[in-house]
Amino acid sequence: MTTHSTRRTVAKLLAPLVVFGLVAAACGSDDDSGDDGAESSSATTEASGSDTTEASGSDTTDASGSDTSDAAVPDGPTIRLRGQDFSEAITIAEVYGQYLQAQGYDVEILTPAGFRTEAIDGLSNGDLDLIVDYIGGSQAALAPDAPPSADPDEIVAVIGPAYEEIGATLLDYSPAVDGDAFVVRGDSEATTISDVAGLDYVLGASSQCPERPQCLIGLEDPDIYGIEFADFVTLEFGPLLGEALANDEVDAVIWNTTAPQITEQGFKVLEDDQGLFPAQNIAPIITTEVLEAYGDQLAADLDELSAMITTEDLLAWNTETDIEFRESDEVATEWLQSKGLL
Amino acid sequence: MAGALPGQTAVPRDIGFFEWFFDADTWTGSGGIIESLIDTVLLCAAATAVAALIAVPVAAVLAHYRKAQVASTWLVSLSRAVPTFAIAALLVPWSLRRGWGFEPWPIFIALFLLAVVPIFLNTYVAIREVPEESVDAARALGYGESAVLGRVEFAMGASLILAGVRVAAIQVVATEPIRAFLGGDGLGRYVRDGFGQNNTTLVVGGIVLIGGLAATTGLLFVLLERLVLPTGVRRLVRHQGERQP
Repeated sequence: MTTHSTRRTVAKLLAPLVVFGLVAAACGSDDDSGDDGAESSSATTEASGSDTTEASGSDTTDASGSDTSDAAVPDGPTIRLRGQDFSEAITIAEVYGQYLQAQGYDVEILTPAGFRTEAIDGLSNGDLDLIVDYIGGSQAALAPDAPPSADPDEIVAVIGPAYEEIGATLLDYSPAVDGDAFVVRGDSEATTISDVAGLDYVLGASSQCPERPQCLIGLEDPDIYGIEFADFVTLEFGPLLGEALANDEVDAVIWNTTAPQITEQGFKVLEDDQGLFPAQNIAPIITTEVLEAYGDQLAADLDELSAMITTEDLLAWNTETDIEFRESDEVATEWLQSKGLL
Repeated sequence: MAGALPGQTAVPRDIGFFEWFFDADTWTGSGGIIESLIDTVLLCAAATAVAALIAVPVAAVLAHYRKAQVASTWLVSLSRAVPTFAIAALLVPWSLRRGWGFEPWPIFIALFLLAVVPIFLNTYVAIREVPEESVDAARALGYGESAVLGRVEFAMGASLILAGVRVAAIQVVATEPIRAFLGGDGLGRYVRDGFGQNNTTLVVGGIVLIGGLAATTGLLFVLLERLVLPTGVRRLVRHQGERQP
Protein backbone atom coordinates (compact mmCIF):
# COMPACT_ATOMS: atom_id res chain seq x y z
CA MET A 1 0.00 0.00 0.00
CA THR A 2 2.86 2.35 0.75
CA THR A 3 4.42 1.75 -2.62
CA HIS A 4 1.05 2.17 -4.26
CA SER A 5 0.29 5.50 -2.61
CA THR A 6 3.86 6.67 -3.17
CA ARG A 7 3.57 5.93 -6.83
CA ARG A 8 0.33 7.85 -6.92
CA THR A 9 1.96 10.77 -5.15
CA VAL A 10 4.85 10.74 -7.61
CA ALA A 11 2.40 10.68 -10.49
CA LYS A 12 0.59 13.65 -8.98
CA LEU A 13 3.82 15.53 -8.56
CA LEU A 14 4.91 14.82 -12.10
CA ALA A 15 1.59 15.88 -13.62
CA PRO A 16 2.35 19.64 -13.36
CA LEU A 17 5.76 19.02 -14.91
CA VAL A 18 4.13 17.36 -17.90
CA VAL A 19 1.77 20.31 -18.24
CA PHE A 20 4.70 22.72 -18.12
CA GLY A 21 6.43 20.71 -20.79
CA LEU A 22 3.40 20.96 -23.05
CA VAL A 23 3.17 24.70 -22.48
CA ALA A 24 6.85 25.05 -23.26
CA ALA A 25 6.48 23.09 -26.46
CA ALA A 26 3.42 25.05 -27.54
CA CYS A 27 5.04 28.42 -26.90
CA GLY A 28 8.32 27.41 -28.46
CA SER A 29 6.76 26.49 -31.78
CA ASP A 30 5.27 29.86 -32.66
CA ASP A 31 8.02 31.86 -31.05
CA ASP A 32 8.78 34.19 -33.91
CA SER A 33 5.52 34.36 -35.78
CA GLY A 34 3.80 36.75 -33.38
CA ASP A 35 0.60 34.75 -33.81
CA ASP A 36 0.26 34.15 -30.10
CA GLY A 37 -0.32 37.84 -29.55
CA ALA A 38 -3.04 37.79 -32.16
CA GLU A 39 -4.86 34.93 -30.54
CA SER A 40 -4.81 36.40 -27.10
CA SER A 41 -5.86 39.84 -28.22
CA SER A 42 -8.78 38.57 -30.26
CA ALA A 43 -9.87 36.58 -27.24
CA THR A 44 -9.92 39.73 -25.11
CA THR A 45 -11.81 41.52 -27.83
CA GLU A 46 -14.59 38.98 -27.83
CA ALA A 47 -14.71 38.59 -24.10
CA SER A 48 -14.69 42.22 -23.15
CA GLY A 49 -15.84 44.16 -26.17
CA SER A 50 -19.52 44.14 -25.34
CA ASP A 51 -19.37 45.53 -21.83
CA THR A 52 -16.88 48.28 -22.62
CA THR A 53 -19.04 49.63 -25.36
CA GLU A 54 -22.01 49.61 -23.05
CA ALA A 55 -20.09 51.35 -20.31
CA SER A 56 -18.56 54.05 -22.42
CA GLY A 57 -21.46 54.30 -24.82
CA SER A 58 -23.96 55.27 -22.16
CA ASP A 59 -22.34 58.68 -21.71
CA THR A 60 -21.75 59.45 -25.29
CA THR A 61 -24.54 58.11 -27.45
CA ASP A 62 -27.05 60.80 -26.45
CA ALA A 63 -24.41 63.47 -26.84
CA SER A 64 -23.46 62.30 -30.30
CA GLY A 65 -27.10 62.04 -31.30
CA SER A 66 -27.83 65.66 -30.49
CA ASP A 67 -24.55 67.03 -31.79
CA THR A 68 -24.49 65.42 -35.16
CA SER A 69 -28.18 65.34 -36.00
CA ASP A 70 -27.72 68.02 -38.65
CA ALA A 71 -24.32 66.84 -39.94
CA ALA A 72 -23.92 63.77 -42.10
CA VAL A 73 -23.10 60.72 -40.02
CA PRO A 74 -19.76 59.35 -41.24
CA ASP A 75 -20.26 56.01 -42.91
CA GLY A 76 -17.66 53.28 -42.66
CA PRO A 77 -16.45 50.24 -40.75
CA THR A 78 -16.31 50.02 -36.97
CA ILE A 79 -13.12 51.58 -35.61
CA ARG A 80 -11.73 49.29 -32.93
CA LEU A 81 -9.56 51.17 -30.47
CA ARG A 82 -7.68 49.80 -27.49
CA GLY A 83 -5.56 51.64 -24.97
CA GLN A 84 -2.30 50.26 -23.62
CA ASP A 85 -2.68 49.04 -20.10
CA PHE A 86 -1.53 51.97 -17.98
CA SER A 87 -3.63 54.83 -16.76
CA GLU A 88 -2.40 57.59 -19.08
CA ALA A 89 -2.81 55.44 -22.19
CA ILE A 90 -6.23 54.32 -21.00
CA THR A 91 -7.37 57.93 -20.62
CA ILE A 92 -5.88 58.85 -24.01
CA ALA A 93 -7.77 55.97 -25.64
CA GLU A 94 -11.00 57.12 -23.94
CA VAL A 95 -10.43 60.70 -25.15
CA TYR A 96 -9.88 59.67 -28.78
CA GLY A 97 -12.66 57.06 -28.65
CA GLN A 98 -15.32 59.25 -27.05
CA TYR A 99 -14.36 62.14 -29.34
CA LEU A 100 -14.83 60.03 -32.46
CA GLN A 101 -18.10 58.60 -31.09
CA ALA A 102 -19.34 62.15 -30.54
CA GLN A 103 -18.44 62.95 -34.13
CA GLY A 104 -20.73 60.10 -35.17
CA TYR A 105 -18.10 57.49 -35.99
CA ASP A 106 -18.77 53.88 -35.16
CA VAL A 107 -16.11 53.30 -32.49
CA GLU A 108 -15.57 50.37 -30.21
CA ILE A 109 -13.33 51.14 -27.22
CA LEU A 110 -11.93 47.79 -26.14
CA THR A 111 -10.80 46.92 -22.63
CA PRO A 112 -7.20 48.12 -22.24
CA ALA A 113 -4.65 45.34 -22.55
CA GLY A 114 -0.97 44.91 -23.27
CA PHE A 115 1.57 47.54 -24.12
CA ARG A 116 3.18 48.86 -27.30
CA THR A 117 4.11 45.49 -28.75
CA GLU A 118 0.56 44.21 -28.40
CA ALA A 119 -0.83 47.45 -29.83
CA ILE A 120 1.36 47.35 -32.93
CA ASP A 121 0.73 43.62 -33.35
CA GLY A 122 -3.01 44.26 -33.14
CA LEU A 123 -2.74 46.95 -35.79
CA SER A 124 -0.74 44.80 -38.20
CA ASN A 125 -2.86 41.68 -37.85
CA GLY A 126 -6.21 43.43 -38.05
CA ASP A 127 -7.46 43.12 -34.47
CA LEU A 128 -7.28 46.87 -33.96
CA ASP A 129 -7.91 49.80 -36.27
CA LEU A 130 -6.67 52.71 -34.20
CA ILE A 131 -3.95 53.02 -31.59
CA VAL A 132 -2.39 56.02 -29.93
CA ASP A 133 1.31 55.72 -29.20
CA TYR A 134 4.33 57.78 -28.19
CA ILE A 135 6.36 58.35 -31.34
CA GLY A 136 9.79 57.72 -29.80
CA GLY A 137 8.53 54.46 -28.35
CA SER A 138 7.11 53.52 -31.74
CA GLN A 139 10.53 54.08 -33.27
CA ALA A 140 12.24 51.89 -30.67
CA ALA A 141 9.77 49.12 -31.50
CA LEU A 142 9.59 49.46 -35.29
CA ALA A 143 13.11 50.65 -36.17
CA PRO A 144 15.31 49.84 -33.17
CA ASP A 145 18.47 50.51 -35.16
CA ALA A 146 17.53 54.04 -36.22
CA PRO A 147 19.24 56.69 -34.07
CA PRO A 148 16.86 58.17 -31.49
CA SER A 149 16.15 61.85 -31.83
CA ALA A 150 14.83 64.60 -29.64
CA ASP A 151 13.23 66.13 -32.77
CA PRO A 152 9.74 64.69 -33.36
CA ASP A 153 9.87 65.34 -37.11
CA GLU A 154 13.00 63.20 -37.48
CA ILE A 155 11.19 60.39 -35.70
CA VAL A 156 8.12 60.78 -37.90
CA ALA A 157 10.38 60.43 -40.96
CA VAL A 158 11.45 57.03 -39.65
CA ILE A 159 8.21 55.60 -38.25
CA GLY A 160 5.84 56.98 -40.92
CA PRO A 161 7.16 54.55 -43.58
CA ALA A 162 7.55 51.79 -40.98
CA TYR A 163 3.84 52.03 -40.14
CA GLU A 164 2.96 52.09 -43.86
CA GLU A 165 4.71 48.74 -44.17
CA ILE A 166 2.23 47.16 -41.76
CA GLY A 167 -0.71 48.81 -43.50
CA ALA A 168 -1.19 51.73 -41.13
CA THR A 169 -0.98 55.50 -41.37
CA LEU A 170 0.66 57.75 -38.83
CA LEU A 171 -1.39 60.92 -38.36
CA ASP A 172 -0.14 64.29 -37.05
CA TYR A 173 1.52 64.10 -33.67
CA SER A 174 0.18 66.08 -30.74
CA PRO A 175 2.12 68.75 -28.85
CA ALA A 176 1.49 66.57 -25.78
CA VAL A 177 4.66 64.77 -24.71
CA ASP A 178 5.14 61.99 -22.21
CA GLY A 179 8.83 61.31 -22.46
CA ASP A 180 11.26 59.43 -20.30
CA ALA A 181 12.40 61.33 -17.26
CA PHE A 182 15.51 60.72 -15.19
CA VAL A 183 14.14 61.39 -11.72
CA VAL A 184 16.13 61.86 -8.51
CA ARG A 185 15.27 62.97 -4.98
CA GLY A 186 14.88 66.69 -4.48
CA ASP A 187 18.07 66.92 -2.40
CA SER A 188 20.31 65.41 -5.10
CA GLU A 189 23.29 67.56 -6.05
CA ALA A 190 22.85 66.71 -9.74
CA THR A 191 20.97 68.98 -12.12
CA THR A 192 21.78 67.23 -15.40
CA ILE A 193 22.06 63.52 -16.14
CA SER A 194 25.79 64.03 -16.84
CA ASP A 195 26.25 65.09 -13.20
CA VAL A 196 25.24 61.58 -12.09
CA ALA A 197 28.40 60.03 -13.59
CA GLY A 198 30.47 60.36 -10.42
CA LEU A 199 27.72 59.75 -7.86
CA ASP A 200 27.62 55.92 -7.69
CA TYR A 201 23.83 55.88 -7.89
CA VAL A 202 21.53 52.87 -7.78
CA LEU A 203 19.10 53.02 -10.70
CA GLY A 204 15.56 51.66 -10.69
CA ALA A 205 13.63 51.11 -13.91
CA SER A 206 11.40 48.64 -15.73
CA SER A 207 12.69 45.34 -17.06
CA GLN A 208 12.76 46.82 -20.57
CA CYS A 209 15.38 49.40 -19.60
CA PRO A 210 18.50 47.19 -19.58
CA GLU A 211 18.02 46.18 -23.20
CA ARG A 212 17.05 49.59 -24.60
CA PRO A 213 19.59 51.91 -26.24
CA GLN A 214 17.54 54.91 -25.04
CA CYS A 215 17.68 53.68 -21.47
CA LEU A 216 20.39 51.81 -19.55
CA ILE A 217 22.53 51.05 -22.60
CA GLY A 218 22.70 54.72 -23.53
CA LEU A 219 23.20 55.86 -19.94
CA GLU A 220 26.20 53.54 -19.57
CA ASP A 221 27.60 54.14 -23.06
CA PRO A 222 30.89 56.04 -22.63
CA ASP A 223 30.12 57.98 -25.83
CA ILE A 224 26.83 59.29 -24.43
CA TYR A 225 26.66 59.49 -20.61
CA GLY A 226 29.14 56.87 -19.44
CA ILE A 227 27.49 56.50 -16.03
CA GLU A 228 28.56 53.55 -13.88
CA PHE A 229 25.63 52.71 -11.65
CA ALA A 230 26.26 50.94 -8.35
CA ASP A 231 23.32 48.65 -8.99
CA PHE A 232 20.19 48.24 -11.08
CA VAL A 233 16.83 47.31 -9.54
CA THR A 234 13.99 46.12 -11.73
CA LEU A 235 10.76 47.87 -10.73
CA GLU A 236 7.70 47.32 -12.86
CA PHE A 237 5.13 49.54 -11.22
CA GLY A 238 5.10 53.33 -11.08
CA PRO A 239 4.06 53.66 -7.41
CA LEU A 240 6.93 51.32 -6.43
CA LEU A 241 9.38 53.62 -8.25
CA GLY A 242 8.25 56.51 -6.08
CA GLU A 243 8.38 54.50 -2.85
CA ALA A 244 11.81 53.11 -3.64
CA LEU A 245 13.18 56.54 -4.51
CA ALA A 246 11.63 58.29 -1.51
CA ASN A 247 13.02 55.69 0.89
CA ASP A 248 16.61 55.69 -0.44
CA GLU A 249 16.30 52.18 -1.81
CA VAL A 250 17.33 53.55 -5.20
CA ASP A 251 18.85 56.96 -6.00
CA ALA A 252 17.42 57.50 -9.46
CA VAL A 253 14.55 56.09 -11.47
CA ILE A 254 13.51 56.21 -15.10
CA TRP A 255 9.96 57.54 -14.96
CA ASN A 256 7.84 59.55 -17.31
CA THR A 257 7.58 63.31 -17.44
CA THR A 258 3.86 63.23 -16.75
CA ALA A 259 4.03 61.15 -13.55
CA PRO A 260 2.08 63.23 -11.01
CA GLN A 261 4.07 61.73 -8.12
CA ILE A 262 7.21 63.62 -9.23
CA THR A 263 5.94 66.94 -7.92
CA GLU A 264 3.74 65.27 -5.31
CA GLN A 265 6.73 63.64 -3.59
CA GLY A 266 9.23 66.46 -4.12
CA PHE A 267 11.42 64.73 -6.71
CA LYS A 268 13.18 66.49 -9.55
CA VAL A 269 13.72 65.64 -13.19
CA LEU A 270 17.31 65.94 -14.39
CA GLU A 271 18.03 67.65 -17.69
CA ASP A 272 18.77 65.25 -20.54
CA ASP A 273 21.82 67.27 -21.62
CA GLN A 274 23.06 64.67 -24.11
CA GLY A 275 19.64 64.27 -25.76
CA LEU A 276 19.41 60.54 -25.04
CA PHE A 277 15.67 60.36 -24.49
CA PRO A 278 13.78 60.56 -27.77
CA ALA A 279 10.84 62.86 -28.41
CA GLN A 280 7.71 61.16 -27.13
CA ASN A 281 4.78 63.11 -28.54
CA ILE A 282 1.56 61.16 -28.69
CA ALA A 283 0.17 60.40 -32.15
CA PRO A 284 -2.76 58.35 -33.44
CA ILE A 285 -2.00 55.54 -35.88
CA ILE A 286 -4.87 54.13 -37.91
CA THR A 287 -5.07 51.28 -40.40
CA THR A 288 -4.91 52.68 -43.91
CA GLU A 289 -7.92 50.57 -44.90
CA VAL A 290 -10.20 52.22 -42.33
CA LEU A 291 -8.75 55.66 -43.01
CA GLU A 292 -9.50 55.36 -46.72
CA ALA A 293 -12.97 53.97 -46.04
CA TYR A 294 -13.88 57.17 -44.19
CA GLY A 295 -11.92 59.55 -46.41
CA ASP A 296 -10.14 62.76 -45.43
CA GLN A 297 -12.68 63.78 -42.82
CA LEU A 298 -11.49 61.18 -40.29
CA ALA A 299 -7.85 62.26 -40.56
CA ALA A 300 -8.88 65.92 -40.24
CA ASP A 301 -11.02 65.16 -37.16
CA LEU A 302 -8.23 63.21 -35.49
CA ASP A 303 -5.60 65.87 -36.28
CA GLU A 304 -7.88 68.52 -34.81
CA LEU A 305 -8.14 66.58 -31.54
CA SER A 306 -4.40 65.77 -31.37
CA ALA A 307 -3.56 69.47 -31.76
CA MET A 308 -5.72 70.33 -28.73
CA ILE A 309 -4.07 67.95 -26.23
CA THR A 310 -1.13 69.34 -24.27
CA THR A 311 1.44 67.84 -21.90
CA GLU A 312 -0.32 69.66 -19.05
CA ASP A 313 -3.53 67.86 -19.99
CA LEU A 314 -1.75 64.50 -19.72
CA LEU A 315 -0.39 65.46 -16.31
CA ALA A 316 -3.84 66.64 -15.17
CA TRP A 317 -5.45 63.38 -16.35
CA ASN A 318 -2.81 61.32 -14.55
CA THR A 319 -3.30 63.30 -11.36
CA GLU A 320 -7.03 62.59 -11.51
CA THR A 321 -6.66 58.88 -12.29
CA ASP A 322 -3.59 58.04 -10.17
CA ILE A 323 -3.78 60.43 -7.22
CA GLU A 324 -7.53 60.98 -6.96
CA PHE A 325 -8.38 57.48 -8.24
CA ARG A 326 -11.05 58.58 -10.68
CA GLU A 327 -12.20 56.52 -13.66
CA SER A 328 -10.44 57.16 -16.96
CA ASP A 329 -13.64 57.34 -18.99
CA GLU A 330 -15.08 60.04 -16.69
CA VAL A 331 -11.86 62.04 -16.82
CA ALA A 332 -11.91 61.82 -20.61
CA THR A 333 -15.57 62.85 -20.82
CA GLU A 334 -15.02 65.87 -18.58
CA TRP A 335 -12.01 67.04 -20.56
CA LEU A 336 -13.85 66.69 -23.88
CA GLN A 337 -16.81 68.61 -22.43
CA SER A 338 -14.54 71.36 -21.14
CA LYS A 339 -13.12 71.74 -24.65
CA GLY A 340 -16.62 71.78 -26.16
CA LEU A 341 -15.97 68.56 -28.04
CA LEU A 342 -18.87 66.61 -26.58
CA MET B 1 26.88 45.23 -22.32
CA ALA B 2 25.70 41.89 -20.99
CA GLY B 3 26.49 41.42 -17.33
CA ALA B 4 27.71 44.98 -16.86
CA LEU B 5 25.40 45.40 -13.90
CA PRO B 6 24.08 43.02 -11.33
CA GLY B 7 20.42 42.22 -11.66
CA GLN B 8 19.94 42.55 -15.38
CA THR B 9 19.21 40.04 -18.07
CA ALA B 10 20.04 41.04 -21.61
CA VAL B 11 18.97 38.02 -23.62
CA PRO B 12 18.36 38.23 -27.36
CA ARG B 13 14.67 37.98 -28.21
CA ASP B 14 15.11 35.46 -31.02
CA ILE B 15 17.15 32.98 -28.99
CA GLY B 16 15.65 29.48 -28.87
CA PHE B 17 14.68 27.98 -25.53
CA PHE B 18 17.22 25.16 -25.62
CA GLU B 19 19.97 27.42 -26.88
CA TRP B 20 19.30 29.73 -23.93
CA PHE B 21 18.79 27.00 -21.37
CA PHE B 22 21.98 25.08 -22.17
CA ASP B 23 24.21 28.13 -22.44
CA ALA B 24 26.70 28.19 -19.56
CA ASP B 25 26.29 31.99 -19.20
CA THR B 26 22.60 31.47 -18.49
CA TRP B 27 23.49 29.51 -15.37
CA THR B 28 26.52 31.20 -13.89
CA GLY B 29 27.38 34.70 -12.81
CA SER B 30 25.30 37.52 -11.44
CA GLY B 31 21.63 37.02 -12.22
CA GLY B 32 22.32 33.50 -13.49
CA ILE B 33 20.05 30.54 -12.86
CA ILE B 34 22.25 29.16 -10.07
CA GLU B 35 22.22 32.41 -8.13
CA SER B 36 18.48 32.87 -8.71
CA LEU B 37 17.81 29.28 -7.69
CA ILE B 38 19.75 29.70 -4.44
CA ASP B 39 17.87 32.95 -3.73
CA THR B 40 14.55 31.23 -4.27
CA VAL B 41 15.37 28.04 -2.37
CA LEU B 42 16.69 29.92 0.68
CA LEU B 43 13.63 32.15 0.93
CA CYS B 44 11.19 29.28 0.38
CA ALA B 45 12.96 27.05 2.89
CA ALA B 46 13.02 29.82 5.49
CA ALA B 47 9.34 30.70 5.05
CA THR B 48 8.22 27.07 5.16
CA ALA B 49 10.47 26.18 8.10
CA VAL B 50 9.36 29.11 10.25
CA ALA B 51 5.73 28.39 9.38
CA ALA B 52 6.17 24.74 10.37
CA LEU B 53 8.01 25.59 13.61
CA ILE B 54 5.14 27.84 14.67
CA ALA B 55 2.08 26.13 13.22
CA VAL B 56 2.87 22.50 14.12
CA PRO B 57 3.25 22.93 17.92
CA VAL B 58 0.35 25.38 18.18
CA ALA B 59 -1.99 23.20 16.14
CA ALA B 60 -0.86 20.02 17.91
CA VAL B 61 -1.49 21.39 21.40
CA LEU B 62 -4.83 22.93 20.39
CA ALA B 63 -5.94 19.66 18.78
CA HIS B 64 -4.76 17.57 21.73
CA TYR B 65 -6.94 19.50 24.14
CA ARG B 66 -9.72 19.76 21.54
CA LYS B 67 -9.57 23.54 21.86
CA ALA B 68 -10.63 26.15 19.34
CA GLN B 69 -11.93 23.59 16.87
CA VAL B 70 -14.28 25.95 15.08
CA ALA B 71 -12.20 29.09 15.57
CA SER B 72 -8.95 27.68 14.25
CA THR B 73 -10.54 26.14 11.20
CA TRP B 74 -12.50 29.29 10.49
CA LEU B 75 -9.54 31.61 10.95
CA VAL B 76 -7.29 29.50 8.83
CA SER B 77 -9.73 29.15 5.96
CA LEU B 78 -10.33 32.88 6.18
CA SER B 79 -6.64 33.61 5.75
CA ARG B 80 -6.67 31.38 2.70
CA ALA B 81 -8.88 33.92 0.97
CA VAL B 82 -6.27 36.69 1.20
CA PRO B 83 -4.10 36.85 -1.90
CA THR B 84 -0.38 36.49 -1.26
CA PHE B 85 0.58 39.03 -3.91
CA ALA B 86 -1.64 41.69 -2.34
CA ILE B 87 -0.12 41.08 1.10
CA ALA B 88 3.42 41.33 -0.24
CA ALA B 89 2.60 44.41 -2.31
CA LEU B 90 0.99 46.12 0.69
CA LEU B 91 3.99 45.31 2.88
CA VAL B 92 6.58 46.69 0.42
CA PRO B 93 5.95 50.41 1.13
CA TRP B 94 5.81 49.60 4.85
CA SER B 95 9.18 47.86 4.69
CA LEU B 96 10.74 50.60 2.54
CA ARG B 97 9.63 53.31 4.95
CA ARG B 98 11.37 51.49 7.78
CA GLY B 99 14.54 51.31 5.74
CA TRP B 100 14.39 47.51 5.49
CA GLY B 101 14.41 47.49 1.72
CA PHE B 102 12.35 45.45 -0.72
CA GLU B 103 13.51 42.19 0.75
CA PRO B 104 13.20 39.97 2.59
CA TRP B 105 10.40 40.94 4.98
CA PRO B 106 7.41 41.68 2.71
CA ILE B 107 7.76 38.57 0.59
CA PHE B 108 8.82 36.47 3.59
CA ILE B 109 5.75 37.42 5.62
CA ALA B 110 3.44 36.84 2.67
CA LEU B 111 4.91 33.39 2.00
CA PHE B 112 4.88 32.57 5.71
CA LEU B 113 1.15 33.31 5.87
CA LEU B 114 0.64 31.17 2.78
CA ALA B 115 2.55 28.24 4.31
CA VAL B 116 0.96 28.43 7.77
CA VAL B 117 -2.48 27.53 6.45
CA PRO B 118 -1.97 23.96 5.15
CA ILE B 119 0.53 23.11 7.91
CA PHE B 120 -1.85 24.22 10.66
CA LEU B 121 -4.86 22.49 9.15
CA ASN B 122 -3.08 19.20 8.50
CA THR B 123 -1.50 19.10 11.95
CA TYR B 124 -4.80 19.87 13.64
CA VAL B 125 -6.61 17.15 11.73
CA ALA B 126 -3.73 14.67 12.15
CA ILE B 127 -3.74 14.95 15.96
CA ARG B 128 -7.52 15.02 16.26
CA GLU B 129 -8.03 11.94 14.08
CA VAL B 130 -5.67 9.68 16.03
CA PRO B 131 -7.85 6.67 17.08
CA GLU B 132 -9.21 7.09 20.59
CA GLU B 133 -8.39 3.51 21.53
CA SER B 134 -4.69 4.23 20.95
CA VAL B 135 -4.84 7.26 23.21
CA ASP B 136 -6.80 5.28 25.84
CA ALA B 137 -4.28 2.46 25.70
CA ALA B 138 -1.44 4.93 26.22
CA ARG B 139 -3.18 6.45 29.22
CA ALA B 140 -3.81 2.99 30.65
CA LEU B 141 -0.06 2.41 30.44
CA GLY B 142 0.44 5.53 32.56
CA TYR B 143 1.38 8.07 29.87
CA GLY B 144 0.95 11.70 30.91
CA GLU B 145 -0.53 14.40 28.65
CA SER B 146 2.77 15.37 27.09
CA ALA B 147 3.72 11.75 26.44
CA VAL B 148 0.32 11.05 24.89
CA LEU B 149 0.74 14.04 22.61
CA GLY B 150 4.39 13.54 21.78
CA ARG B 151 4.78 9.78 21.68
CA VAL B 152 1.36 8.63 20.53
CA GLU B 153 -0.62 11.35 18.78
CA PHE B 154 2.32 13.10 17.15
CA ALA B 155 3.93 9.87 16.01
CA MET B 156 0.70 8.50 14.57
CA GLY B 157 -0.13 11.79 12.87
CA ALA B 158 3.37 12.38 11.56
CA SER B 159 2.56 11.26 8.05
CA LEU B 160 -0.33 13.69 7.71
CA ILE B 161 1.65 16.51 9.34
CA LEU B 162 4.51 16.03 6.90
CA ALA B 163 2.02 16.00 4.04
CA GLY B 164 0.85 19.43 5.21
CA VAL B 165 4.39 20.75 5.20
CA ARG B 166 4.89 19.28 1.74
CA VAL B 167 1.80 20.98 0.34
CA ALA B 168 2.90 24.25 1.97
CA ALA B 169 6.41 23.99 0.53
CA ILE B 170 5.11 23.35 -2.98
CA GLN B 171 2.71 26.28 -2.74
CA VAL B 172 5.48 28.53 -1.46
CA VAL B 173 7.83 27.54 -4.28
CA ALA B 174 5.13 28.12 -6.86
CA THR B 175 4.24 31.52 -5.36
CA GLU B 176 7.69 32.86 -4.52
CA PRO B 177 8.31 34.22 -8.06
CA ILE B 178 5.99 37.17 -7.32
CA ARG B 179 8.93 38.72 -5.45
CA ALA B 180 10.51 39.53 -8.82
CA PHE B 181 7.60 41.89 -9.46
CA LEU B 182 8.15 43.63 -6.13
CA GLY B 183 11.76 44.75 -6.36
CA GLY B 184 13.35 41.36 -5.73
CA ASP B 185 14.91 38.68 -7.86
CA GLY B 186 14.93 34.90 -7.61
CA LEU B 187 13.58 32.57 -10.30
CA GLY B 188 10.66 34.89 -11.00
CA ARG B 189 13.07 37.29 -12.69
CA TYR B 190 12.89 35.24 -15.89
CA VAL B 191 9.12 35.52 -16.05
CA ARG B 192 9.26 39.26 -15.23
CA ASP B 193 12.02 40.09 -17.71
CA GLY B 194 10.45 37.86 -20.32
CA PHE B 195 7.13 39.71 -20.08
CA GLY B 196 8.80 43.12 -19.94
CA GLN B 197 11.05 42.45 -22.89
CA ASN B 198 8.47 40.46 -24.85
CA ASN B 199 10.86 37.51 -24.77
CA THR B 200 8.93 34.24 -24.84
CA THR B 201 12.04 32.17 -24.26
CA LEU B 202 12.65 33.83 -20.90
CA VAL B 203 9.02 33.38 -19.81
CA VAL B 204 9.06 29.70 -20.76
CA GLY B 205 12.43 29.29 -19.06
CA GLY B 206 11.06 30.81 -15.87
CA ILE B 207 8.00 28.55 -15.94
CA VAL B 208 10.11 25.45 -16.51
CA LEU B 209 12.49 26.35 -13.68
CA ILE B 210 9.73 27.21 -11.20
CA GLY B 211 7.68 24.17 -12.15
CA GLY B 212 10.75 21.97 -11.95
CA LEU B 213 11.65 23.27 -8.52
CA ALA B 214 8.09 22.77 -7.25
CA ALA B 215 8.08 19.20 -8.56
CA THR B 216 11.49 18.50 -7.05
CA THR B 217 10.33 19.89 -3.72
CA GLY B 218 7.41 17.48 -3.70
CA LEU B 219 9.68 14.54 -4.51
CA LEU B 220 12.13 15.47 -1.77
CA PHE B 221 9.32 15.47 0.76
CA VAL B 222 8.24 11.99 -0.32
CA LEU B 223 11.80 10.80 0.29
CA LEU B 224 11.89 12.67 3.60
CA GLU B 225 8.70 10.92 4.71
CA ARG B 226 10.32 7.55 4.07
CA LEU B 227 13.40 8.53 6.01
CA VAL B 228 11.88 10.09 9.11
CA LEU B 229 8.68 8.15 9.70
CA PRO B 230 9.20 5.41 12.30
CA THR B 231 8.81 1.93 10.87
CA GLY B 232 5.88 1.24 13.16
CA VAL B 233 4.02 4.27 11.94
CA ARG B 234 4.70 3.38 8.33
CA ARG B 235 3.26 -0.07 9.00
CA LEU B 236 0.31 1.56 10.73
CA VAL B 237 -0.40 3.82 7.79
CA ARG B 238 -0.31 0.78 5.58
CA HIS B 239 -2.80 -1.03 7.82
CA GLN B 240 -5.13 1.92 7.95
CA GLY B 241 -5.02 2.08 4.17
CA GLU B 242 -6.07 -1.57 3.95
CA ARG B 243 -8.92 -1.13 6.36
CA GLN B 244 -10.33 1.86 4.49
CA PRO B 245 -9.62 1.38 0.82
